[in-house]
Amino acid sequence: MANTGFRNFLDDLDRAGELRKISKPVDCRHLSALAEQADEATLFENIDGYPGWRVATALVSTRKRLAIAMGCTENRVAFEFEEKSSRPIDPVTVTTAPCQEVVMEGDDVDLTSIPLPLMHLFDGGPYISGTFAVSNDPEYGPNVGCYRLMYRTPRETGIDLVSPSDMRFYYQRALDKGEPLPIAIAVGVHPLDMLAASYKAPIDTNELALAGGLRGEALEMVKCRTLDLEVPADAELVLEGELLPIGWTADEGPFGEFSQISGDVKWNPIFRIKCITHRRDPIFYMLQMPWENDWLAAPVTEAAGLQALRIASVQPVDIRAPVGSCGYWALIASIKKRPGEGKNAVMALLSVAEVKYVVVTDDDIDIHDPDELDWAIAFRVQADTDAIVVSGARAKHIDPSVKAWELGKGGLPTTAKLGIDATIPEGVPRILYRRIKNYGRDRVKLEDFE
Amino acid sequence: MSPLAAELRATLETTARQFHELVDDHMETPWRDFLQAWGELREAYILKRDDEGAYFIETG
Repeated sequence: MANTGFRNFLDDLDRAGELRKISKPVDCRHLSALAEQADEATLFENIDGYPGWRVATALVSTRKRLAIAMGCTENRVAFEFEEKSSRPIDPVTVTTAPCQEVVMEGDDVDLTSIPLPLMHLFDGGPYISGTFAVSNDPEYGPNVGCYRLMYRTPRETGIDLVSPSDMRFYYQRALDKGEPLPIAIAVGVHPLDMLAASYKAPIDTNELALAGGLRGEALEMVKCRTLDLEVPADAELVLEGELLPIGWTADEGPFGEFSQISGDVKWNPIFRIKCITHRRDPIFYMLQMPWENDWLAAPVTEAAGLQALRIASVQPVDIRAPVGSCGYWALIASIKKRPGEGKNAVMALLSVAEVKYVVVTDDDIDIHDPDELDWAIAFRVQADTDAIVVSGARAKHIDPSVKAWELGKGGLPTTAKLGIDATIPEGVPRILYRRIKNYGRDRVKLEDFE
Repeated sequence: MSPLAAELRATLETTARQFHELVDDHMETPWRDFLQAWGELREAYILKRDDEGAYFIETG
């Protein structure tokens, strides 16, 4: 069995002093509110009304814990992700799996047997927020993504399939034929698997091999009990079923989005569950919004930015997807610039997914220091020549400024994007940016005069 | 329909309620029982949503 499983990561957090264990009974309606108050990740060991279950949450709600998952320092996360994802390792299939120690099929299927949390004040119901969703298309092959599920009935959930994604594409193809799309949902996998699943990879990319690359060992998969799909063998919980061919017609949401906004009611398909499997002593994983999602999004966005810069033949020095942009909507990068590459870099970064705000600086700017960034923008930017605005680019519904409510059911919004080239302009001598430095600073120390 | 589901139905026929407001009114009810009752309403396909996401049930 792999040593990079979900439970191994809980042990890693525990050893690092980053896991709070709560043994008192907790109601499912209070799990998220309690976790929000903890500085550490939280393991609830006693769930009121759900004997035998535990709930783990907020596992990567900080960059520090994300770095523990990646096995690197905090400022190396994006580069580590890029490096490891370039060395994919194909998954292997096993025949027995912890995730199938308990099996519920047919009339025994009952989602209410799982400690589903009510997470936020305006949520439309309890949610399964951290999923590793597997689907397949006869032409394009298996795909993995992350999709939230809202409880509807003991055998049905809503699923947010509004934004463009490979699974949405697969579902549309099945829907065009009037057929359901079989999918399997694994809950409680290693954060590296979640990172691979959320990576905006080309449709022919094998996210399972990507997960193997990030883990440094093959992901062990097991065939579902009722579907021709495979799921991670060391998952805590698996839901097997199908997306009904009803299109975007069922109410879903609101949910506390990773944009830190409550969101609104969306119209989505329904996921009907045929089989539930789980471990004998299962741990339900509650992905704590928004920070856990944001920190999972950041390295994926950053790695996509690095890739875009390299394709544009620009040499990146540092990059970050600010948590204020939810690790998703903005990219700040510093580069080793040759003439014209400030603009090339801006255009490259604006091409990344739904990134709508980009700043590019020279490599003398510490992009993690907001004052440094402001200084670069103040003194290296002329708005009429160094700001680039692109209209009509792809957007996400949960950004209120794109006015998604004006679209019909299933409609896709667009957005404008802004890029700022905050590199030293061509023709301006670099010496004009020479920083002030106190005379004798290297010779005298204040403590010697106290 | 279970007594709890019938009670929820009667409430939503009277006024639109956010999900959390329904939960607030039934904090003494075991969570699993509440979810099963909610599932009964969902299976009846009678729940509507207003502009703010609150649930209601049309009558007449």
